[in-house]
Amino acid sequence: MNPFWDYLNAIWNILRKDLQVEWRGKQGVPVMLVFALLVVFLFNFALQLSPDLQAGLAAGLLWVSLAFASTLGLNRSVSLEQENKAMDGLLMAPVDRSAIFFGKFLSNFSFTFLVGLVLLPVFSLFYQQNMFKSMLVLVIILGLGAYTSLGTLLAALSIQTRTRDVLLPVLLYPLALPILIAAVEASRSILAGQPISDYQSWMTFLLACNILFTAAGLMFFETILEE
Amino acid sequence: MVNNLNIMSANPEKSSGQIVVKNLLKRYHTKPVLNQLSINIDAGALCILVGDNGVGKTTLLRILAGLVHPDSGEIAIGNSGSSREPQDRRMIGYLGHQSMLYQDLNAIENLTHYARLYRLPQANMIISELIQSVGLEKSQHQMVRTYSRGMQQRLSIARSLLHDPEVLLLDEPYTGLDKQGAQFLDKRLQSLHQQGKTIFLAAHRPHRLLSFASHVAWLIDGMIAEYSPVQDIPRHANLAAYLQESA
Amino acid sequence: MTKKPKLLKFIDILCLILVPGALVLILFYTPTERVMGSVQKVFYFHVSAAWAGMLSFLIAAAAGGVYLSTRRQKWDWLSLSSIEVGLVFGLIAILSGMIWAQPIWNTWWVWDPRLTTTAIMELIYLAYFILRSSLNTPESQARLGAVYAIVSAATVPLTFFSIRLFRTIHPVVIAAGGSGGSAFNMTPRMLLAFFVSLFVFTLLLIDLVWHRSRLAKIQAINQGEGV
Repeated sequence: MNPFWDYLNAIWNILRKDLQVEWRGKQGVPVMLVFALLVVFLFNFALQLSPDLQAGLAAGLLWVSLAFASTLGLNRSVSLEQENKAMDGLLMAPVDRSAIFFGKFLSNFSFTFLVGLVLLPVFSLFYQQNMFKSMLVLVIILGLGAYTSLGTLLAALSIQTRTRDVLLPVLLYPLALPILIAAVEASRSILAGQPISDYQSWMTFLLACNILFTAAGLMFFETILEE
Repeated sequence: MVNNLNIMSANPEKSSGQIVVKNLLKRYHTKPVLNQLSINIDAGALCILVGDNGVGKTTLLRILAGLVHPDSGEIAIGNSGSSREPQDRRMIGYLGHQSMLYQDLNAIENLTHYARLYRLPQANMIISELIQSVGLEKSQHQMVRTYSRGMQQRLSIARSLLHDPEVLLLDEPYTGLDKQGAQFLDKRLQSLHQQGKTIFLAAHRPHRLLSFASHVAWLIDGMIAEYSPVQDIPRHANLAAYLQESA
Repeated sequence: MTKKPKLLKFIDILCLILVPGALVLILFYTPTERVMGSVQKVFYFHVSAAWAGMLSFLIAAAAGGVYLSTRRQKWDWLSLSSIEVGLVFGLIAILSGMIWAQPIWNTWWVWDPRLTTTAIMELIYLAYFILRSSLNTPESQARLGAVYAIVSAATVPLTFFSIRLFRTIHPVVIAAGGSGGSAFNMTPRMLLAFFVSLFVFTLLLIDLVWHRSRLAKIQAINQGEGV
């Protein structure tokens, strides 16, 4: 059998299994979604936001709620493998172990992206501006891609500790700051209706982050999981 | 319980699953758990690993399964030599303390997931036969979350046998099994032994296995203190006494 | 017990002479800056401390990489020590920056790219110690610490770049000054004092990291005897 297809097959199977577990248990996406909405409401009252929110604030709020909610999904994704040590089963599979990283990364990405897609109409409704812009969806893909690839790596790291999932936000937020800045800035420009040349550099930056953190995941995932 | 012994193609003439371990060292903190451990297990042997709690049985099996990195030492399983490629893991079936099962999936889905990882052809047939043989066909559509400890252990055994590995590493496989389950496992181990599989099995109460095992290895403080064919046990007074005690 | 190397002793003495020497140079040899006055003299140690901090985080990442490939404990000690020393230098840079900013910008804290990056860097590396302290074995502390140190070092330039891009896109007042030396022209005397400071701080960094590494080694030996 072709090793490359074995590899892709393993990635797909890990992703498919996660989708199956999520469909059955519904413990990821709904929880993230509710949490994201709670963050929106909290900020709304804490900062006394008006319905006709400026583009910058709406973009910031969107990303803060996504960033907070994602940590729940990331922790859930890793603890799923840690429960009953199912991760051992994945590690024993006859395929390069970086495939586990890709599989988990893709499932984390899909779930958080789904949350992002649901948040867009909610934001449009709450803050009276059309958030359905193809470029904004692209920014969400790039931003969440970089964020969840770094997050998958760090979640695997934090689950090894005594404090388990508690540690993830402390590790993730400061390291993810450049991703969030870029994502917020690009989103802000798009919502303010600026031409693409204004935020092109942010998009390139996000793309670079995607490549960098995926490469880091490839390189270090097995090192993190070994005992 | 159905005992379907012809589930997988028996392949007795080609047994390639010898286990060779040389000077294995593993420390936790600065304390050595395995201390320059060496052992050779011939292909086709059914070797029981005995020893008190905490002497390193689990660590040894996990290192052999490739789940723990040793600090130093050499391991060769089968023909793979010491350089272990991902494909070489196909040769190993491992049953640990924890079930490696997903709570929110049922028995079939769990096994299907693992069958896909191993890219098994005719997975459905193998899975349904395995589930039948471990006596879970009635609850095969229930989520693993609802299973008792014994049922989980049965499914976990099925999982470790799924890809018909040449080498089986079983860590306390009788845990949680009722009388029926234990009898099933006895028979299953005997038939796997007859098929020429190498079986390395940790058990702190090994008595029921002595009638059909081929070897016994005694682990004390991270080293193999005695390693003997079962019929030669009487010649090893200490080992015989230890086995008598733990019966 | 390991004996103190001769070279280390030599560096000790050199630091004892050179640190006060640099101070004398800064206080009495350099001219007082025309606009900012004597507070400008903070600049020499401020930039040097920031430089030493950055350098030690780079050393930590490099040592982490060597640890992962060799698995020799001494590289982990070096990595750990560099981060600890780097944190102190970073703190010095932030505090001295604040002392400088108070009279010049009329505020203790500005969201200037360099200052913000340094502050986030401190948070990132504080999390490093939280990570280590919640891991059980020295081996996992070393292994996961190394991965974290490498990933962190990779994100520091990203953070700096993103904050800088963020600030230059915004029309803000801070862009002109920075906390570095680009805003004023340095006289030859200033340049000399500046480079001496840089050298002295680099030497001090080597000295402290070396001492701290030896301490980690002695600690490990003692713990080993205890078991």
